[in-house]
Amino acid sequence: MGFCSGSTTDDHESPHKTEKRSCGTLHFISARQIEKALTMRFHGNFIICRYLSRLRNQFNSNFEFPLPNFRHRAPFFLRSYSAEVPAQLSPELLNIMEQRLSAIEYRTSCLNNFLNQPEASPSEYARANKELRKLSGSVDLIKELRAKQKEIDGLKSLMAECSEDKDMLNMATEEMGQAVEEERKLQNLLLKSLLPKDDADERDCILEVRAGTGGEEASLFAMDIFRMYEKYALEKGWKFEVVDIAQSDHKGYKSTMHWNLLLARIEFHLATDVLWTILSQEASAAIAGDGVFRKLKFESGIHRVQRVPVTEKSGRIHTSAVSVAILPQADEVDVQLKNEDLRIDTYRSGGSGGQHANTTNSAVRVTHIPTGIMITIQDERSQHMNKAKALKVLCAKLYEMERLRLRSSRSKLRLEQIGSGDRSERIRTYNFPQGRVTDHRVGITYHSVDDVMQGENLDVFIDALLLQEEMDAMATFSSSQ
Amino acid sequence: MNLTLSSVYRPYSFPTLLKSSSFSTLSRPFCSSALSSPPTCVKPQVPLFLRPPIYSTKLCELKKWHDWAKGVAFSIGSTFVHSDNGRDSSILFREMKWLMEDAVEDHSMIVDDERVKMRIGIDELYCLWKQRIHERRPFQYVVGCEHWRDLVLSVQEGVLIPRPETELIVDFVYDVVSENEDLKSGVWADLGTGSGALAIGIGRVLRSEGGRVVATDLSPVAVAVAAYNVQRYCLQDKIELREGSWFEPLKDMEGKLVGLVSNPPYIPSKDISGLQAEVGRHEPRVALDGGTDGMDALLHLCDGAGLMLKPGGFFAFETNGEHQCRALVDYMENNRSGSFCNLEIRADFAGIQRFVMGFHQ
Repeated sequence: MGFCSGSTTDDHESPHKTEKRSCGTLHFISARQIEKALTMRFHGNFIICRYLSRLRNQFNSNFEFPLPNFRHRAPFFLRSYSAEVPAQLSPELLNIMEQRLSAIEYRTSCLNNFLNQPEASPSEYARANKELRKLSGSVDLIKELRAKQKEIDGLKSLMAECSEDKDMLNMATEEMGQAVEEERKLQNLLLKSLLPKDDADERDCILEVRAGTGGEEASLFAMDIFRMYEKYALEKGWKFEVVDIAQSDHKGYKSTMHWNLLLARIEFHLATDVLWTILSQEASAAIAGDGVFRKLKFESGIHRVQRVPVTEKSGRIHTSAVSVAILPQADEVDVQLKNEDLRIDTYRSGGSGGQHANTTNSAVRVTHIPTGIMITIQDERSQHMNKAKALKVLCAKLYEMERLRLRSSRSKLRLEQIGSGDRSERIRTYNFPQGRVTDHRVGITYHSVDDVMQGENLDVFIDALLLQEEMDAMATFSSSQ
Repeated sequence: MNLTLSSVYRPYSFPTLLKSSSFSTLSRPFCSSALSSPPTCVKPQVPLFLRPPIYSTKLCELKKWHDWAKGVAFSIGSTFVHSDNGRDSSILFREMKWLMEDAVEDHSMIVDDERVKMRIGIDELYCLWKQRIHERRPFQYVVGCEHWRDLVLSVQEGVLIPRPETELIVDFVYDVVSENEDLKSGVWADLGTGSGALAIGIGRVLRSEGGRVVATDLSPVAVAVAAYNVQRYCLQDKIELREGSWFEPLKDMEGKLVGLVSNPPYIPSKDISGLQAEVGRHEPRVALDGGTDGMDALLHLCDGAGLMLKPGGFFAFETNGEHQCRALVDYMENNRSGSFCNLEIRADFAGIQRFVMGFHQ
């Protein structure tokens, strides 16, 4: 029986051997060689996969490159990076800031010592208190930063002492990571608090749009720009109130835009787009809301348009210009408006006035004698309201003059980098045939002029400009030490 | 109908204060309501801009009216200016636009269906503009309201249209209240309130303070209209209206007032006939005629101020101009020496010395 089994085994092996021999050509290939060959093929597949993966990565990385029309690449990267984790400030910047922080700590200490002296006079006491209050924001942040740095030092000592205890070391390392991150946050906050701030950023503003070169087409585009800001304000939830101003060199009277449009439509039966030419060369609005001026302040300047005007008969592209001014609103405290500097004129009936005359001419003209600025408002039906409106516009103009004066004396570097904010500077071009809008200060081009005109994507430019302002402020901060 | 009703109650003109007092007695049989409450028999008119837009007009019809109205205004040129220093064409154009602003409901630039909603019919619109031009009816009566300071006050025939000069009195009150704590919580009086302009202006100055205002007028129409305006501005708790002649409705407040204001009639009787047509033909004479030298009411107010104000109380009166201001100050300094202090004359925006103010000693 056992012999029979052995015989079966032999039979099983025999056909296999027979088959090999019949192939003949495989005589010299061993099992090991076969295995090796299979392995090589497998490795080959890995190589191919790795190559394809590299190609895919290379393809994907194209999307990480900045848009080809971006002139400055840093804003894009900095913005992405700063959104993830507080940016690590450079050693130079940290050193400069440390000096400033020490100076503030020293100054605070001096002020506190001064206030503790019983012989301080009331006015000196008040002045010291005021300065102390002004520094209190930074002082609080400095205290937090010092506490955090102390915590970090403690953690470093702990890590050194417990280098052998793995659990303790891991826990200390984790806490160190959190503490360092919080330290960076505090450093960034302090840096922002030390950067010179624009006092007007939180204010409401007055928008002025004026047609420039280009005649009728400039007037039409001025209306388009005015409406763009109206739509943008609506989207932001801001209040947009038309303030029509007739200045001394303009004749006739004006009323709110929509009424003029309705009346002119009735009178002339013209398309809406053409009405602007007849009605006005300038329009203004008061815009109120959260942080309005901060968002809009970089809109001041010359906006150029390139398009075929609706009035053009030969299909030629015209270039026209519109100037925009964004004035922060100010109350009389800000500009120290004195009654003796003002002359207020109302319509003179020539007679005794009062009960003697019935009047519907409520026009008011306010003249600021030192500067010669003259504002006339006549669209309100009450003299009181016309006067209030005229003073509002006058305050904004005076405040803007003072701001520009301070700004130019504060830093020439900022002038060169952001631009003067002067309404004569060329800042943006709207190219309708090519459907794109280019901001010349940050070199951004947005490829949908219609979206911009609908007020939908102004933030593309505004956010970039605000980021640029922040970077410029940091550069100024660094260079000032 | 409203016009007829209001004309029935139009007060007859009396040249002197004494006769006005007599008229006050005579007027009582016509109005049975109690002295201290506004009469319910006079219903004030609703100004045009507050009426419901129940009419509809084709845009082309409105355009036809607009062309006609503009042509009429244009033909006036400077005629009114030359005759009595009235309006010229350019101001009439603006009035026409404001009339349309009040009459037309649709403020949209999009006029798709070529029809507009109106608060009056197109025929009445023609009628109103004819009244404005041919009868010199004041624009404020045409639209039934006057914009004054930041208020829109209802006015109608029988009620004096508040003047822009009078706006300044509220500023004076604001300044004096800001500097004197005592004036914030007491009772103010507005005599001859008319549409209620000064009472409402002061009521808003005192909005968050404890002070109150009592407004009086001889005319039941004026009292009714003033009550309507007070109600529109939700100041019923702050402002009380009383009908009567000058201080008669205030007998319970002798020596208790912290403030007293008035825009009394101050035009000399002989000048009434030469007034601008809008004023002389249409506004209530009882609110304009100040007697022989225009100072009958003003002198009466000075006497009453001495009696009604508490020590430290403030007063401000509007006058005809510098001559009346000086005469009034002289009167108070000579005849009422010891009663008043810090007397002051203030100008209006045209530079005319218009207001007299001061404090009770």
